[in-house]
Amino acid sequence: MAQDAAGAIGARVTGQVDSLIRAAQGGDQDAFEQLVRMYDQSVLRLAMNLLRSPEDARDVYQEAFLRVYRNLHSFRFDCSFHTWLYRIVTNICLDQLRKRKVRKEEPSVVETSEGPVDRMDSFEEDGPNADPERSMWNRELKQRIEGALQDLTPRERMVFELRHYQGLRLRNIGEMLGTTEEAAKNCLFRATQKMRAVLGDFV
Amino acid sequence: MTCDSVGTLIPLYFYGELNPDEEDQVEQHIHQCAACTREMERQRALSAALDGRTADPPSHLLADCRSDLMAAIQGGAPRLPQVRKGPWTLFLEALGSTLDSVRHVPTPVGALALVALGFFCARFTGAWNQPLNLSTASLNPSDDVFATVRSVRPDQNGVVQIAFDETRRRTVSGRMDDQAIQKLVLAAAHEDNPSVRVESMDLLKSQPQSNEVRDALLNAVLHDPNDGVRLKAVEGLKPLAADPEVRKALSQVLLSDNNPAIRYQVVDLLVAHHDDSVIGVLQGSVQREDNHTVRMKLEKALKDMKASVGTF
Repeated sequence: MAQDAAGAIGARVTGQVDSLIRAAQGGDQDAFEQLVRMYDQSVLRLAMNLLRSPEDARDVYQEAFLRVYRNLHSFRFDCSFHTWLYRIVTNICLDQLRKRKVRKEEPSVVETSEGPVDRMDSFEEDGPNADPERSMWNRELKQRIEGALQDLTPRERMVFELRHYQGLRLRNIGEMLGTTEEAAKNCLFRATQKMRAVLGDFV
Repeated sequence: MTCDSVGTLIPLYFYGELNPDEEDQVEQHIHQCAACTREMERQRALSAALDGRTADPPSHLLADCRSDLMAAIQGGAPRLPQVRKGPWTLFLEALGSTLDSVRHVPTPVGALALVALGFFCARFTGAWNQPLNLSTASLNPSDDVFATVRSVRPDQNGVVQIAFDETRRRTVSGRMDDQAIQKLVLAAAHEDNPSVRVESMDLLKSQPQSNEVRDALLNAVLHDPNDGVRLKAVEGLKPLAADPEVRKALSQVLLSDNNPAIRYQVVDLLVAHHDDSVIGVLQGSVQREDNHTVRMKLEKALKDMKASVGTF
């Protein structure tokens, strides 16, 4: 029963998305704006989590949706709009990650409008009465996690991000990245192995 | 199943990515194997440790992104491929604007320029000065040629004389440090199509050291009717934010532009270089600013400069 209801809701949402796409393809700017608003929060969250910089996330957002705007006429409904959009977004993010790999840099401090914030602070903070040994252990763990993620290739990082944080299925991830489900599985396996190797005694 | 094969399946089992048969086999093995049970525990611990690492976007970021995007597409970037004017048109327009700007030079120089233009046009159109033999001419217009028929004169012998202006599309390519390419890109800044102007601004950003580029960016930021073009021009002026003339123009934009995303960017540029005269401009703007985000930005900038948010 619940599954039927979910299916019905899913079908209604898909129908709504399709009508918005068709209207936007016909030049309706309001429809385009509505379409953007249906997906842009998850796009921004993905970019922010991968790149850890509001400025870079903002660039990804802008470039991705401008590409969507310019190329929407070529969308032929042969895959879901979500997959098509994420193909664009993941390509842009992968380019950014590759550039960073070449430069061997990753900002340790995130610039926000409230000033620079250490990205490690996004973790749950220890209270004032926390055990100092425990706090030190937590800090060490955070650093190891950052190191472990940096050791991943951009593609492994992307697959891990999409599966672990965005909750997407590997079949969809493969489709988005232009590869097979099997290749996405291998990527996820390598990513977890590498992270476990770096995190060692911590997990 | 061996421990090795289960080890490779544990991450996929954890993420629910195995088929039901594989899932059963892994579960059966784990129940009987202490080492693989520990492996599964380590997988769970890894996942729990990673769960804490999320970076939520700052609250204003989504609104800013939406506002930037809508500003960039307002006026319409091409959704369907559109016919763009060729470099020849751009050249003529560039020449037109050049002649416009040299209106004050002595008349003989202007006349000389027109003679040169005539010579140049003759080189392009020489072949068409020959009588056109319609029986051999191709009547299918090429994709690369745009013609406007000016007159059609049939005579009594069944011959038709057609006069038309022709624009031929050419493709040129080169880098932005090539003067000829830069001139074409500057000419594109005056195109009717706003998406061409946006691209032009985007390319000109890389050449801020040229006075012509600076003038084109200033002209766009002050006068272009399209929000996306003005936004790009503001970005292009970033490296020139210390230039007094640029600051003057930006102050004017802050007070008069009707797009909050542009005003927001302008505040960043103005405060990037400390300059006491900007305080008055910011104070004047904060009083009349009707957009909450921009007003907050102005107030923060004034606070950072240790200035009051109002004039007294």
